[in-house]
Amino acid sequence: MTFQANVSDAMSDVTSNAATGPAPAKEPEMMLAVEHVSLSFGGVKAITDISFDIHKGEIRAIIGPNGAGKTSMLNVINGFYHPQEGTIYWQGKVRRRMKPHEAAKSGIARTFQNVALFKGMSTLDNVMTGRGLRMKSNFFWQCIHKGPALREENEHRAKVEEIIDFLEIQHIRNKPVGKLPYGLQKRVELARALAMEPDLLLLDEPMAGMNLEEKEDMSRFIIETNQRYGTTIALIEHDMGVVMDLSDRVVVLDYGKKIGDGPPAEVQANQEVIDAYLGVSH
Amino acid sequence: MSVEFGFFLETVISGLMAGVMYALVALGFVLIFKASGIFNFAQGVMCLFAALTFVGVQEKFGLPAWLALPAAVGVMILLAWLIERLVLRHLVNQDPIILFMATIGLAYVLEGLGDLMWGSDVKLLDIGLPQGASDYMLDNFNLYVEKLEVVAAVIASILVAALAVFFQKTRVGRALRAVADDHQAALSVGISLNTIWVIVWSVAGIVALVAGIMWGSKSGVQFSLSLIALKALPVLILGGFTSIPGAIVGGLIIGVGEKVAEVYMGPFVGGAVENWFAYMLALAFLLVRPQGLFGEKIIERV
Repeated sequence: MTFQANVSDAMSDVTSNAATGPAPAKEPEMMLAVEHVSLSFGGVKAITDISFDIHKGEIRAIIGPNGAGKTSMLNVINGFYHPQEGTIYWQGKVRRRMKPHEAAKSGIARTFQNVALFKGMSTLDNVMTGRGLRMKSNFFWQCIHKGPALREENEHRAKVEEIIDFLEIQHIRNKPVGKLPYGLQKRVELARALAMEPDLLLLDEPMAGMNLEEKEDMSRFIIETNQRYGTTIALIEHDMGVVMDLSDRVVVLDYGKKIGDGPPAEVQANQEVIDAYLGVSH
Repeated sequence: MSVEFGFFLETVISGLMAGVMYALVALGFVLIFKASGIFNFAQGVMCLFAALTFVGVQEKFGLPAWLALPAAVGVMILLAWLIERLVLRHLVNQDPIILFMATIGLAYVLEGLGDLMWGSDVKLLDIGLPQGASDYMLDNFNLYVEKLEVVAAVIASILVAALAVFFQKTRVGRALRAVADDHQAALSVGISLNTIWVIVWSVAGIVALVAGIMWGSKSGVQFSLSLIALKALPVLILGGFTSIPGAIVGGLIIGVGEKVAEVYMGPFVGGAVENWFAYMLALAFLLVRPQGLFGEKIIERV
């Protein structure tokens, strides 16, 4: 119930901001909130009455055992799934039922648990697809590849090159991504998501299947993304060490229900969470 | 120039022209396969349907050819929209084989629809494309070259060049390639699958219209027109299912190959080489290079 109060606090905070200008540093601004969301497939309940929020500028972790409903939650947020019940607030406003490409337009980018890249295209083209929504020049100019279209393409190329530099994938710029090792594919996927310059970045197990060195690199990229671009990040991760290091707040799911929510240390000490998750070996 | 060599040249040229026509049909397949991973069984019938519509609006409403063309294009775009609405939209995330079966159904629906709307009799398609032998080639080089085939080759080249630019240089082209690779990922970067599908089926419909008009001018608009799709299959196997240049080169190889084989091999095996040559060539290719000349090699990560 205290959580409910938080949400409405944040809500009123946003509305008052509109009148008074920039937010005071202490009161966190709300990026996204889900309230009483339930999702089922036929008779199977994937998510039951879950509520939590994501503050602007934070790194929010979603953890839980396999099958807890974490990926379903991300899929609800970016519009792949439509919950039967509950409300989603996006930047302070109630969000209507949305298709994935509309969610992307509104500023939500994501990566996938099993890398979802455009395998036939080069790294550069993959990242460029992330700019698609921001390209405005008309079709005719694009076809002849001159004038406004060329100028626009160059501007977007510059942004894309910046991201490629940032994620240290210059050397594979022109390689077809299908042939890259797994760790690099995950990095290209992150690059494509970043190219969208999202407000909210959803990462589904960004470090799954990586070795220690790759995990450290990825952690560094996530933190730098958060600090450099001010991107709000929600991530699902199984490696508890990583979660505790990276995240500002953690929400814990088990069997589609929320069993814990708070700063890492607090969640780690929560007996219910320990029983459900931390104590269980996979 | 000796008579034999001149005859050989005529054979090759006529093969090249036929090859361009095959390539046109194959192109429709490639477009849809590239952008949605669907092998569109209905592509041949789409050629027939487009040509029927083109002739039909001329006959029924007395439209001149230059008005019938945009009308037919409009019908093909409307058709693409309907296909997306009524068929594809409901089959998202299904196996390719399911979608393939759906296109078989679509082929029969289109065939029936074409008959119903425009009748099933053989129609003459004459939009004033030049017919007969080119006098210029005959006088200067003593070669017999069909004018219609030259026109077809020119139009096909323009179409192919435009499509290549469209796919490689434009945002929509990049989005098309993205959708072909991964639906979920495409959605996540803000590409609307429904829009892309309508676009790609429209383009394939327009390509089918051009192919239908070309073939129709040559041999009349009738049911057998939809069977040229069968000749497009070996072209695709040769060129690779995902490659636009592959469709062109494959079409040319098969066109020239079967003409030359017919003329020079025919007498020894009793003729009719033209009917099976393409398929034998495709079979041989499947054994040596299953992804085709330009197709993407399939990499499975284990």
